[in-house]
Amino acid sequence: MLRFDALHKRFGDVAALDGLSFAAQPGRILGFLGPNGAGKTTAMRCVFGLVNPDAGEVTWNNQRIDEPTMLTFGYMPEERGLYPKMKIGDQVTHFARLSGLDRSAATESAERWLRALDLGDRLDSKLEELSHGNQQRVQLAAALVHDPVVAILDEPFAGLDPIGVDTMAGVLRTLADRGVAIVFSSHQLDLVADVCQDVVIIDHGRSVLAGDVNELQHTSPTRYLHVEVNGQTWARELEGVGSVSANGRHRYVLDRRSDLAPILDLAARDGEITRFAFEPPHLTDLFREAVRR
Amino acid sequence: MTAAQRVFQLARRDFTQRLRSKAFLFSMLLIIGIVVLIGPIIALASGDDEARVIALVGDQPGGSEEAINQQADLLNIDVELERFDDLASAETALSDGDVAVVVDGVSELIFNEESSLQLSAAVTGGIATAQRLINAEEMGLSDAEVGSLLVPVEFTERTLEPPSTEQDDAKELAAFASLMLLYISILIFGQFVMMGVMEEKQTRVVEVVLSRVKPTQVLVGKVLGIGLLGLLQMVALAGALLFTVSVADLADIDFGGFGLQLFGLLIMWYLLGYTFYSFMYGSLGATISRQEDMQGVAMLPVLLIVPGFFFGQMALIDPGLWIVRVSSLIPIWSPMVMAVRSTVGDVALWEVLLAIALVILTTMLLVKLGGRIYRGAILESGKKTKLRAAWRSANN
Repeated sequence: MLRFDALHKRFGDVAALDGLSFAAQPGRILGFLGPNGAGKTTAMRCVFGLVNPDAGEVTWNNQRIDEPTMLTFGYMPEERGLYPKMKIGDQVTHFARLSGLDRSAATESAERWLRALDLGDRLDSKLEELSHGNQQRVQLAAALVHDPVVAILDEPFAGLDPIGVDTMAGVLRTLADRGVAIVFSSHQLDLVADVCQDVVIIDHGRSVLAGDVNELQHTSPTRYLHVEVNGQTWARELEGVGSVSANGRHRYVLDRRSDLAPILDLAARDGEITRFAFEPPHLTDLFREAVRR
Repeated sequence: MTAAQRVFQLARRDFTQRLRSKAFLFSMLLIIGIVVLIGPIIALASGDDEARVIALVGDQPGGSEEAINQQADLLNIDVELERFDDLASAETALSDGDVAVVVDGVSELIFNEESSLQLSAAVTGGIATAQRLINAEEMGLSDAEVGSLLVPVEFTERTLEPPSTEQDDAKELAAFASLMLLYISILIFGQFVMMGVMEEKQTRVVEVVLSRVKPTQVLVGKVLGIGLLGLLQMVALAGALLFTVSVADLADIDFGGFGLQLFGLLIMWYLLGYTFYSFMYGSLGATISRQEDMQGVAMLPVLLIVPGFFFGQMALIDPGLWIVRVSSLIPIWSPMVMAVRSTVGDVALWEVLLAIALVILTTMLLVKLGGRIYRGAILESGKKTKLRAAWRSANN
């Protein structure tokens, strides 16, 4: 288990991490969420010693992460970067070597990963000759070429087209099936809900919500009601009932045990009810509730 | 894979990637080509090796030819004598450049444009000697009397300073070439290190590297890889230089002893000087992420190294000057000044060892300081990181 244990980090006057704690399990995908500046990148950098926390530590199976252990981890930083003028086959092999693979294993693994990411015929292309999406795939290959036991991916879905997103999600699921502990950060909450099993939401450097996504949704006391009358969103003011509006959708915020019959009656008087959805919160709702923005 | 192997892997990447770069290969071959060609061109242009032809017309005293040859030998010039039937054909050959001087009887020396003091001396001296021999014979002098008549005045020679030998000229030339090579190589390959560090920061690839290798090891790997590249170029250039010097006959370089010693000195001081400056360049490179900022930051090492180049030139002129002796022990200058001193002058072994020890010690200090600046600056996202800020944030 990869455990972030009471991490504190200040940059000048700013507390980037303020007692952040959570854990990622082998074989599970953890979505690491938070508003901009919440401390996600800083926390991820702490795993690799790129940032030294002022207090607290990151442990793997209850041990401090030493150099040999770190080499079994994979990291894809938020700010992408590889050598523009180096052939991608050589490049990914280079990173495999730096992770401790011998020459033949490194070459073999680099080719295997690039093939798996549909770049098998581009091994001799320079990175700069590839499209943006393909460069992202090379970046992923560089992060995973040594078949790590932990994968820390900072915004892996950023900038990908829908096909790229599917490929990336597929890779993450395959890794998790093999027992890899995966932590990835993202702003695309729908995607996170689809891909990950666990979620940690952080704000101001500390965890504000953590757990299994389904469980969090279903154990939430809040329910969202979305009603359409005559095919139109129904948005009548209801006394004592709060509501949220986003993307042209009007939803009432209720308690899970609320009596819906009066609302149903009221709506039926306005026309034919074409939709009446009483749902647990989406991940987006959980996120908003957690960070209260 | 040990840490050392990972450092080596980083070095290998820098070495092979740069060696494969067409721009680098082209410039390296160009420089070596120029150096290799200079020798033969100088040799061709000077053309000193060809014998100069002396054309003889009319009557000269018997034995003149032999005497002229003897005089030419004494004057250390290479001549050939050729007899022409008439003055006109000899003058034609003179204006065609086939002969250097025409000797008409014993009355006139004819040159094409400029007279040559050496040729005049050989001809007039030779003919006069031949004439004296004939006169002595007519006077009925015995061989012993002729011998005493013609005995040359012999001076012994001494110089106030130790005489400048051809070996000294060779040393001076070699020391100057070493100084240039060291100065240029340290600057060029130091700046390569800076550029490499900056590019890794600019492209953000460094974060991927740093998740596998410690910052100081990354810096050491870069210094090592580019340093080996510099070494390769240095060996090639030094070889080209020795070739060109020996072809042009500019100096009498003995490849076995002096050449080898010179080569060893050059390589050693290059490695020491380059390592020192490249750690400085590397840590400065970590503070910038744009090509435009490079010029300003690269000034600092240049300002430090330039006085060393001048002290090196002073060492060429007088290796005993106090400023030369002092600067040859100061680590920012010693790789150039001591290299020159050791080549042209007598340097005590302890001075050389002290200079080496001081460079190594300060380099170790610089690895620590530079490593900390590198660590503090390389992941900063701003355009330019101040050295003090880098120093402080190194603990982050």
